[in-house]
Amino acid sequence: MSERPTAQELTEAIAEFLGGEILPTLTDHRLRFRMLVAMNALGIVHRELAALPPEDDTERRELARRIRADDVEQGMLAVVKADVEARLRIASPRYLDRYA
Amino acid sequence: MTTVAIDSDDRTEMREALEAVLGPTTEPVLLAGGASKEAWAVDAGGQRLLVRRAAVGVIHRHTLSLKEEFAVLEAAYEAGVKVPRPVMYIPELEGREAFVMERLEGETIGRRIVRMDVPAQLPVQLAEELAKIHAIPRERLPFLQEARLERMMDELDDVGEPHPAIELGLWWLRENRPAPRAAVVTHGDYRIGNVVVDEHGLVGILDWEFAHLDEPVRDLGFGLVRAWRFGADDKRFGGIADVDDYLARYNELTGLDVRLDELDYWELAGNVGWAIGCLTQAQRHLSGQDRSVELAILGRLGAEVEYEICHLLEKMWA
Repeated sequence: MSERPTAQELTEAIAEFLGGEILPTLTDHRLRFRMLVAMNALGIVHRELAALPPEDDTERRELARRIRADDVEQGMLAVVKADVEARLRIASPRYLDRYA
Repeated sequence: MTTVAIDSDDRTEMREALEAVLGPTTEPVLLAGGASKEAWAVDAGGQRLLVRRAAVGVIHRHTLSLKEEFAVLEAAYEAGVKVPRPVMYIPELEGREAFVMERLEGETIGRRIVRMDVPAQLPVQLAEELAKIHAIPRERLPFLQEARLERMMDELDDVGEPHPAIELGLWWLRENRPAPRAAVVTHGDYRIGNVVVDEHGLVGILDWEFAHLDEPVRDLGFGLVRAWRFGADDKRFGGIADVDDYLARYNELTGLDVRLDELDYWELAGNVGWAIGCLTQAQRHLSGQDRSVELAILGRLGAEVEYEICHLLEKMWA
């Protein structure tokens, strides 16, 4: 597992924030109710993610190990950059526009 | 700065604690930002003050205690660096250590500074203050530790996740290290976002908790890191200017004759350091030390910095 926090860990962080910091400030009954429903929905996502197989990071781990051991060739840069770009398309897609 | 909602009981207790050391004060206001430290704005004796106080249970590796940070602030103030005037260190304020300093007026938020019409002399002013910081005698601050590049690898290993882009950056830094320069007192986080600016330019340098002994060019190059351009990417120095005036003035004052390729090297090092910093911040959340969405998401946003590392390597690895 190399993408931390995992999607599941992110849902936990959001649930803690909503339940611990936002819910106690809501005084409107309808908003409180809808927040509780939203947190239930987030719980479903959390449990569904738990059923997915963990990401296979064998290749990434091997590449990192080789580079640390100074076993580096120039072709690696393109491979590494493509991997980072794929992660960015999930984590922060608009960031890539800054290099256009 | 924005303020944070807080129980009036907490405010009353804080006011009583502060009045015990400062005399009559205004109602203290907790300012937003900073998971590791609290900042309270308060006025006393006709002075605008800022109280920095440790937050619950947070001890960072490689950062100064508030007592040490206060000592660094005093040394910088004595050396004529533009900093908030240090007022007093308080070993225990409501159960935690704290210090009091002058509260400067001006803009600190990086995103706003890069959109301001900042005076043309700001880069030169930043070079002048940095030269003064680097001239502080290291004997004045005997507790400061000397940093080494190897520490970045240790920090990455502590995180325990594979990040080939960071590894490639570290490899490049190992292979291409410029001739070492004598270590000086460095600020350690010298960039837009940690300075106060107004319409006349630089008002003061803040956030001294990363001060340490290091190569001066590392400090000089840190402000070039893309993350600290706050979206104004075409201005390489902190989103406010190109590096020419900044570098020229620094060289003029220090006689160090820093070259552009050396600055490139330390810009990459700054990115590698911040990429690892994102991971260690996320670890604070994941380990349960400081549960926070803001810290958690940094673990993923570190990919932005890794992309920049690849981008810099493409240019340098010709």
